[in-house]
Order: sequence, then structure tokens, then C-alpha cells
Amino acid sequence: MGRIVGIDLGTTNSLVAYIDAQTGKPKCIPGPYGSTLCPSVVSLDPDGNIVVGEPARKRLLTQPERTIYSVKRLMGRGLADISEELELFPFRVDTTSKNVIRVQLGEKSFTAPEISSFILRELKNWAEAYFGEPVDRAVITVPAYFNDAQRQATKDAGKLAGLEVLRLVNEPTAASLAYGLHEKRRGLVAVYDLGGGTFDISLLKLISTSEGDIYQVLSANGDTHLGGDDIDNLLQAFIHEEILQGNEIDFSPHGEIAQELRKELIALKHKLSERESATLKFPLPNGKTFEFEFTRGMLDALIRPVVDRTMTPVKRALADAQLKPEQMDEVVLVGGTTRTPLIRRRVQDFFGRSPHTELNPDEVVALGAAVQANILDRGVSNMLLLDVTPLSLGIETYGGAVGKIIPRNSPIPASAQDMYTTGVDNQTGIEIHVLQGERELAKDCRSLARFTLRVPPAPAGLPRIEVKFLIDANGILQVAAKDVRTGELQQIEVRPSYGLNDAEIERMLEESIEYAEQDFAERQVIEARTEAESILAATAKALAGEQVNSIPAEERGRIDATVAALRESMEGQDYKLVRKRIDELNQATMHLAELVMNTAISTALKGKSVGEV
Amino acid sequence: MTAPAKTTTLATDYFSVFELPRKLWVDMTALEQKFLQLSWKLHPDNFVNATEEEQELSLKRSSELNDAYRTLKEPVARVEYLLAIEGERKEGEKKQQAPPELLEEVFELNESLDELREAKSAGSDVAGLRESLHVAEKHFGEKLAEVDAQMQATAKDWDAALDNGADDAARKKIMARLNEHLNRRSYIRNLVMNVAKELEEA
Repeated sequence: MGRIVGIDLGTTNSLVAYIDAQTGKPKCIPGPYGSTLCPSVVSLDPDGNIVVGEPARKRLLTQPERTIYSVKRLMGRGLADISEELELFPFRVDTTSKNVIRVQLGEKSFTAPEISSFILRELKNWAEAYFGEPVDRAVITVPAYFNDAQRQATKDAGKLAGLEVLRLVNEPTAASLAYGLHEKRRGLVAVYDLGGGTFDISLLKLISTSEGDIYQVLSANGDTHLGGDDIDNLLQAFIHEEILQGNEIDFSPHGEIAQELRKELIALKHKLSERESATLKFPLPNGKTFEFEFTRGMLDALIRPVVDRTMTPVKRALADAQLKPEQMDEVVLVGGTTRTPLIRRRVQDFFGRSPHTELNPDEVVALGAAVQANILDRGVSNMLLLDVTPLSLGIETYGGAVGKIIPRNSPIPASAQDMYTTGVDNQTGIEIHVLQGERELAKDCRSLARFTLRVPPAPAGLPRIEVKFLIDANGILQVAAKDVRTGELQQIEVRPSYGLNDAEIERMLEESIEYAEQDFAERQVIEARTEAESILAATAKALAGEQVNSIPAEERGRIDATVAALRESMEGQDYKLVRKRIDELNQATMHLAELVMNTAISTALKGKSVGEV
Repeated sequence: MTAPAKTTTLATDYFSVFELPRKLWVDMTALEQKFLQLSWKLHPDNFVNATEEEQELSLKRSSELNDAYRTLKEPVARVEYLLAIEGERKEGEKKQQAPPELLEEVFELNESLDELREAKSAGSDVAGLRESLHVAEKHFGEKLAEVDAQMQATAKDWDAALDNGADDAARKKIMARLNEHLNRRSYIRNLVMNVAKELEEA
């Protein structure tokens, strides 16, 4: 069996973490660019290769039509409910999409779970490179307020990435695990988690028992379409107006300039978390430079509506847990967006205590996922997580009303039974429509699944079909039905209305393996070329120095020949050949390198710095 | 992990999950402690590396535990559940009918609600109506508290009847009263919620 990791699959950034065996503490794994944050951006290059993370983020500017960000907003959703997203985000939806949305990247189109699986695979690669061992299992975090379809989509993405998803853990709950371990706190804890695209509030009780520590979620609430992205959109719309007032330029909201501007505005927003004012300087296509002095007060006024929107779920979560703000012992801030001073102030004022920010708000969810992964890996543990389902589960009844069968904030796993019968003689099927949400009418709730119970022909009202609904520890629905008279069991596969079916997953799995091989080869070529560049640069520097005069002409000739051979190999795609030529050049320059090194050391001893050599 | 339940057709009764008698007074601290203790044993997290059969069983048992906990934790849900397993819960048409002594007040309330809706759609001033609805909301809130107090008293009678080994007929009588309280409560609660909703939207 391979290693197990915890993954935070975020709207803006994703991270992978593990438990360090020596310290017993969770740790995030850095990627090839040194950062533990992998931008949740995916690009399809013109050769058909998938590019993920930092290089993909750069392509947002150069190849926006082949690149996608914030794909988490599309997880588990249908065409009908993303109209708002389509206005604000540059998603190019494949117009031939059926129930599952497909997004266009260049000439190809992918579903949201597929795109997310590319991000997960990248993180898997990071971890495998770090461990030098395969990784095959993961705990993946999801917003607490994610519904069944969104969770199922995340699980599908894990499968497509070649990971066995041992558990989906709610992000705020994961954060509390990381904090609990770090701080050893007990009592009532509120976790306020405002990320790139989602907002969650979770209220927990941390209890110490003789067997260990229990993290019991009392209530959760949130908004799966509220986050830092919304702040960026507000900023962008505001500056757009400002620019258009003084300049006549064609400003396609989703084009290259818009992406460039967005990037600058995000940097400006970050600056305003640290200081009171910052200036935006933005070169316009008409040759002028747009300058704007932004103060924190202006930013606060602009984002106040977003901050206000978070307070409604906070109040609801408290009401559901029958708690008052001042009863909370601790308040924890999670998610990069909570660095915004206005948010910190609002949370502090509301709860009447200063929030915890000791752990990096970007990393804390991944760290908690690693803790949970370790708990599951070991099978027995001195920590136990008891979570709840954030949304009520209901069944459509007569007249389009909803009969609640599992109320929100029920501890999971949770189940409910319902008995069904027929209304007319010899009716052979009973339609069941499962919904999630708090509204009274089916049309206002999220449609989870529709299925038909098979019934043997009989007089009306005689059949008795018992249906058992079960929400598992991942928050995902399972349904089983039984004919009470005959004892016959019906296996019901619940696939969310906007979800992928098994055949689709199977096909995507095959395709993803193809991509994985391409990914791997492409990555190897890039890495080999990068390494070659740096050794060529070092060689050129050495050849320009005075030590080159001390080596025989024959040696010089060999160096020149291997340099040429390496350059030639870099033109092709054979990374193994590039690596071989790198080794050869290393061999050929060994003597020269020694000479350079000796000079450097003796110079240093004379009191000069190496840089002056 | 304990042995699988002998029968899969009969759902375990929630009181027995916690090894409690079918009484309506429940020690909440003890209930929570028992819940946490059983969670340690049954939660699926402890069975990730177990056989598929054990995993299934853990899922079944822990969901039963959670269902039992959320039901017994809430006094009203507890009464409803008791009546359901005793075969005495009867919602019927009574649920939709106003309790006779409240008829007049309910009639007035519905009138005020209609007026409020009309005024809202016509865009006229609703301040006065709001005021009278607030009064009504408070009034029915008091009625709700009254029913809850009655229910509590009857719940005590039930527990006493169990202690004294009362006969079937006596028990059924108490359960019929509980059933009435529940229906009355559900009716008044709907009223209060409707008023609150209309006021919030106004």
C-alpha cells in the first residue's frame, strides 16, 4: 500500500499535507516552485498537454481561452444554476453539455471533476516526488456547506486522479483538528472559514474523554458561492468603471487585459491587508497608464456587502446550536480571505473576543486533512471527529411540497426510513424525488436524485416498500429499498442529478491515465531542460573566466562538443537523452569546475567575496 | 465491535440503544456521555481498514446511534417517537384543525395576515398591521409555552405510570393526551412560524 495524504482542494489554491513521523505533526508539502500552494488553475497547452498550478496561472494571461480557474464553483452543478457564475467568471461552457457541464479549454472540453482531478494528480505528484514513494489514498476536504452532488463530484475527482478517497472532511472541521492539536484547547469553538469561493461557519465542542479527544460539530452553515473571488469581482467592476470614465478602450471583461488587471487588483488587495493605502498603476492598451490611489477605507466600503453576507449563516448556525456568540470559548479564522482587516474586526466585534490566527490560514485546512488521514490510516486513534450534515434531506410529496426526513445538523452517519405504497391498481413503479435544502417547496430545494421503485403488480395500496435513506460519514447519500411483503431488496444507485454515472467515470479514468502519462513525460522534459539551462549557464561562466587558460586544448574541445550535444538534445522530447548529456557535460567540466572552485576559495581566504571573482 | 443485531428487519428501538427505559424524562448529561462513549466504539472512522462486512455494520450501527441521539435529545421528538413505537401516534385530520378554544383568535390572526399580504402587494403602509401581528405573535408564543408545560406535566404522569406498573388502559389514556398535546403544539407552532415569516418579509 502506498502513502496517505490530506488534500485541501481549494477554489484558488490547493495543498497537500502529511504527518511527519518524527514530530507527529502535520506538514504541507512544497511543490517544484518552492511554495506549498498550488494555484487551482488548469491549462491545456496547444500540444494537448495538461498544465497545472503556477505555470497554468501564468497562462491565464497569455492563453486565457485554454486556461481555467475557480473550477470548484462548477462542481456538482447543472447548467441551470450557474448563470451567475457565467456572468462573473470566464468559464467557456461547452454548449453541447448535457446534465454534467463541460468546460472548453482550447479545442477540448472537460467536466469539473476531470479538471479538479488534474489538480489532485498534480498534488499527488508533488507528494510522490517528496516521499520518493507512491501515494494512493487521500482525505480530501470540502466546504461544510457542500451538498450531496458537490461532494460526489469531489469524490469522483479523487477517483479520476488515481486516489482512493478514504474520507471527505469538512474544511472548518479539518481546521479545528489542526488547531486542537496545536493549541490543546477545549470548549466551544467557532470556525469562520472564508476562502476563495466558499464561506463556512462551523460550531464545535472539543471534549476530552478517557479514550481521547472528541471534536463534535454542533452545527454548520454557509454559502458555497461567497468568497475572495467575489471581492475581486467587486474590485474589478469598480476599477473598470474608473478606467472607462477617462479612456475610450474596448475592455472585453474576460480577455487578456481583464486578467492582467485582475492579477494587479489581487496584489493590491493583499497590500491593503498590510497597509492603509496603495497605488494601482496599470498600463492601458492606448499607451496611457491608469493610476489610482486606493485606501483601506475605500476597500472596506466596497467589500462590506460581502462581509455582511457572511453574518447571516453565522447567526443561523448559532441559532441551530442554541448558542449565543458570547458563549463561544474560541474563534478560529480560516482561509486566505480572513486576512482582510475588516473581516477580522467584524468577527471580533460579533463574538466579543479576538480570533485565533496562529496557524497559516492558507495551510490549516490541509494540515487538518493530514491529521484525519493519519487517524484513518492507523485505524485506532485517540482523536474522533463527529460531524453533521449541513442541509436537510427531504422527499417530494403531493403538490410539490417537501417532507423532511433528516433535519440539517443531524450527526452523520444518519438515516431515515419511509414507507411507500401505490395509488392505482397494478402500478409497477413509484417515483421518488430526493431533495436537499431548507425550503418548503421542492422547486426551491436542490434536486439530488430521482429514481423509480419497482413494485410487483397488486391492488392499489397493498404493496409496502420500505426505503432507507442513509447519509454516510462523507455526507453522501445512499438509498436502499425493500419490499416488506416479499422481503426482496432493491439496489438503488443514487447518482446526483448533475453527477457523472459509472460509465462516464470509467471512460474518464481511461483518458486520465493517458493524460497522466503525458503529464509525466512533459514534466520530465521541462525539468531536464531547466537543469540543462542552468548547467549550460554555469559552464559558459567558467569558460569566460581566466581558469580556462589552465586547461589543455583537448579538454576544451571535449567541453565544446558536449555542450553542442546537450543543446541538440534539448530540441527534442527525449528527456532521458537530455539527462545523459547533462551527465556527460558534468564529467567533461569536472576538472574546470575544480579549478574555478579552488580560485574562489583562495580568493575568499584573501578576504575577497566570491562574487568579486 | 459487538455482534451483529439478530434481525435486520426490526429497527432497534432508540431507547434501548442507550439502554434506557421508555421514560420521557432523560438525564441529558448522561445521554451525551453515553452517546460519545458509543461513538468511540461504532464510528466508521475506526473501521476504515476492516472487512467490508464490518464497515457495513459500523455504518448501520453508528447511523442508528446518531438517529437515536438526535431524537431523544429533543423533548418533543422524544414524545413523538415514544408514541410512534407504542403505536399511539395519530396525526390525522386533527393536525389541520384549530383547537376549538382558539378558533376565534386564529380567525382574527388569519385576517390580519391576509390584510398584511394585500397591503404589501398594494405597496401601502404596513406599520399598524405589523404592530398587531407582533402582538398576535407574542400571544401565540405564550400559548406554545402553555402547551409545552402541559406536555411536560403529562410526560411526568407517563413516567409515574411506568414506575407504578399501570395497566394498558391507563397508559393508553396518557398517550392519547400526549398525542393531543403534540397535535395542538404542531398547529400553534405553524401559526407562529407563519407570522414570523410574514413579518420578516414585510
